[in-house]
Amino acid sequence: MPGRIDGQDIAIWRGASGQVHAWGDRCPHRGMRLSHGFVRGETLACIYHGWQYDADGGCDHIPAHPNLVPPKTICATTYSCAESDDVIWVALRPTDEKCPSLAGLRGVRSLTIDAAAEQVASHFGQAVNAILRLGTADNITLALQPMDADHCTAHALSDARADRTDVSRWLEHQRRVIEGQPA
Amino acid sequence: MILYDYVLSASCYKVRLMAALLGVRLEVKAVNFHPARDHKSAEMLRLNPQGTLPVLVDGDLVLTQSANMLRHLARQNAPQWLGEASGQIDPWLDFAGELNASLGMARLHDVLGFDADIVQVRRDGIRQLRKMEAHLAEQRFAGMGFLAGVAPTIADIACFPNTALAPDGGVSLDPYPSIRLWMRAIRSVPGFVEMPGIHRLHELAPAPERSR
Repeated sequence: MPGRIDGQDIAIWRGASGQVHAWGDRCPHRGMRLSHGFVRGETLACIYHGWQYDADGGCDHIPAHPNLVPPKTICATTYSCAESDDVIWVALRPTDEKCPSLAGLRGVRSLTIDAAAEQVASHFGQAVNAILRLGTADNITLALQPMDADHCTAHALSDARADRTDVSRWLEHQRRVIEGQPA
Repeated sequence: MILYDYVLSASCYKVRLMAALLGVRLEVKAVNFHPARDHKSAEMLRLNPQGTLPVLVDGDLVLTQSANMLRHLARQNAPQWLGEASGQIDPWLDFAGELNASLGMARLHDVLGFDADIVQVRRDGIRQLRKMEAHLAEQRFAGMGFLAGVAPTIADIACFPNTALAPDGGVSLDPYPSIRLWMRAIRSVPGFVEMPGIHRLHELAPAPERSR
């Protein structure tokens, strides 16, 4: 699936073993978005010409040249990526930071908001951070994904017992307020 | 059954897709919609005075609205595709018409050079996609993967093409994870057929053998 972090387009995919990967969303061959591609086992294949990439990002098969062993220089851009408490975290630069703990919470849904992450944080009276704990009765918590200067995605979690439809509708309302649309 | 068809039309594809999923054979007659505008020819206007595509002819019956074609195909072949209650289906058939006027028009503007207020139709399309995204999320909370229940209905087939083709009209589907899951579910239904701009799920087919 596609994602965008600080202006970088990312392809996030899960191999058959469950391992998640975050790569630059460009096939090194013709620049097609790899997020349009398809996963078979532990490889990601580009939708355009079927070039296949291993879990480490190296090209391992080119269908138009079936007898060629692709040179090691052909490889996708890879980023470090970890999964923790049902949230996938991506780091564009090497980091020792641990994933924030979201134990006890359950994912609700991800909303893209036409506003910068800073604006979303300040709407809730907080400084921008990887996660915002909103202090509601349902413990609604947002993992904030900054996309670019005008967009972010809020991955919302709440108490496992919370009614997710209620949480979802509350989030829709907050988004309308943040974006300045008539509520 | 004869379908007067244009391969790039989202509305024509609804009918081809529904027929394929039901295993119904259509006799497809290609009409040169663009650039020849043959859907406005004297012969086509005799068949359908509104001069629109698709047109479905079944014996004496001539249908010119794609929603009615979906109902007709389902009623005759697999009534479960009509859903449990028309009250859950009909609003989505109307919604599909709204998608055609917004995302569909944005695509015709970008792909075939149609005259349209492109900013407005894209804005309308995004508002509708957000509405569908919220509904599909709530469906998922209730254990349902489709617009009107656990199984696909004509409502899904009616809304699918213009949604899946939104990027052709300059509207990204990246912000809508529930819609993307729903599109995957539709493309996974046995008998699914593709059209230019909507590809099948390659991972469902076995990998081609390597001759190395």
